[in-house]
Amino acid sequence: MLSTLELSPQTLDADAPVRIAVKNLDFYYGEHKALKSINLDFRDRHVTALIGPSGCGKSTLLRIFNRIYSLYPEQRATGEVMLDGRNVISNEVDVNELRSRIGMVFQKPTPFPMSIYDNVAFGIRLYEKPPKSELDDRVEGALRRSALWDEVKDKLKSSGMGLSGGQQQRLCIARTIAQKPEVILFDEPTSALDPISTGKVEDLLEQLKSDFTIVIVTHNMQQAARISQYTAFMYLGEVIEFAPTNTIFMNPHKKQTQDYVTGRFG
Amino acid sequence: MSMTTPSTVRALPHAEWGRVRQSRRTADRMMRLTAAGFTFIAIFVLFWILGMLIVKGIGGLSVATFTQITPGPGSEGGGLANAIVGSIVLTFLGIVVATPVGVLAGTYLAEYGKTSKLANLIRFINDILLSAPSILIGLFVYVILVEPFRGYSGWAGGVALGIIAIPVIVRTTEDMLRLVPGPLREAGAALGAPPSVVITSITWRAAKSGMVTGILLALARIAGETAPLIFTALNNNFWFSPTLAGGVSNLPVTIYQFASAPYENWQQLAWAGSLIITMSILLLSLIARRIVRGSK
Repeated sequence: MLSTLELSPQTLDADAPVRIAVKNLDFYYGEHKALKSINLDFRDRHVTALIGPSGCGKSTLLRIFNRIYSLYPEQRATGEVMLDGRNVISNEVDVNELRSRIGMVFQKPTPFPMSIYDNVAFGIRLYEKPPKSELDDRVEGALRRSALWDEVKDKLKSSGMGLSGGQQQRLCIARTIAQKPEVILFDEPTSALDPISTGKVEDLLEQLKSDFTIVIVTHNMQQAARISQYTAFMYLGEVIEFAPTNTIFMNPHKKQTQDYVTGRFG
Repeated sequence: MSMTTPSTVRALPHAEWGRVRQSRRTADRMMRLTAAGFTFIAIFVLFWILGMLIVKGIGGLSVATFTQITPGPGSEGGGLANAIVGSIVLTFLGIVVATPVGVLAGTYLAEYGKTSKLANLIRFINDILLSAPSILIGLFVYVILVEPFRGYSGWAGGVALGIIAIPVIVRTTEDMLRLVPGPLREAGAALGAPPSVVITSITWRAAKSGMVTGILLALARIAGETAPLIFTALNNNFWFSPTLAGGVSNLPVTIYQFASAPYENWQQLAWAGSLIITMSILLLSLIARRIVRGSK
């Protein structure tokens, strides 16, 4: 399998500042400890992929960064997730402000039951009151960046639910970037899409990494290899290996990593 | 990950035909016939009622039914105009009382209370209220709104109907909100929307048609209620006061009184009133179904 991986030469800036620093992070679903002392640094304007077999905790980890887990009272995290000098899992950070700065795109497209325009404007309207012309510009800009503008420019007033699955996912990406977050979390964003839509979303990710810090959870190792600069391999709630993507796929230090990326288990 | 390919197609052991015996097939057919037969009985009773209503009620329908007020004892002719308008007013009042309470309580259960002890207790009480005898609710409203104000009124009637409608709306609202997929709420929250915004501009919107249908079904339910009105709105044979004080004429109680009276024109009007109520409820249910289908 290793030979079939297309490893695009990803430019990697080793001096890029750390945008999110995770220190000694533990996570619990009720009594069950799902993550065990995670330590990871996510570099600014880089794509970091989280890979590992189902149930290894990669989605769980992603859902800590924007504290979406806190919607569920039985889930809790302890430790540090530092973003711009603040520990985002402590109460010193307002959860809604945090989420306006860390966007998230989900596995299944989640268009809101409203027009395409209102979908994209939703996040902007939450925290800003821009004049109509500026709002129009930002909605158009976000739709252009998510490569959806040409397909929807004549039907901005029609429902976002009427789009195809791939278009819906790009609409969700547009909705997220319209809010101008610093970090975008992708939770298996293409696993519900057909190959052509997947290609479009991957192209999009390639475009977005110049402006955003991206963390992506994926089951698809080719995808991780194609689009990320750093990769963390996780297994049973622990980070087994974290390194530049090329290292993880071509020259992993740990045997478990090698076994996983060569398809021997998982 | 590995693919298994069958090497050869072999006959499996015990692969002979005729394993299903005739008796088994007969039993199967009997079961199907019995179920179909009892379904027919249920449907037949329903159509019998509808048929009788149409046959006996249609003769009483005329322009006068909708323009003239209910006749006094011994007087000729008459119509149901005051009762029809009174019923519309009372039903509307009931829905106006019940909708905000029902929708918000249903929202509390689905979005905030969830599986907490308090929410489960509220659900249990709501289910009891759902099947409470409606005459009891009439008596309750009589004690709190009729006795203290020394008189029957349309307001008391509206409140009584509202209390009947509340548990219906609570239930349907909660059910409809729970059908909204969790990821949609997470997506709203992930943009930094506080729960109140997620509920009002995403979840309610996603569940809108179902919630409206629930309200329409509650409307259909209270349109024909008689018992809660006997002690509250009462009934009379005149146009009611615009202040709704002193009793409001309405179809169900009119039917109840006219059907048991010795005057032929009263009995005829009772049938006509029954037909009008039934058709209105049928129409409401059809509209509700149309809304549900339209949203899919």
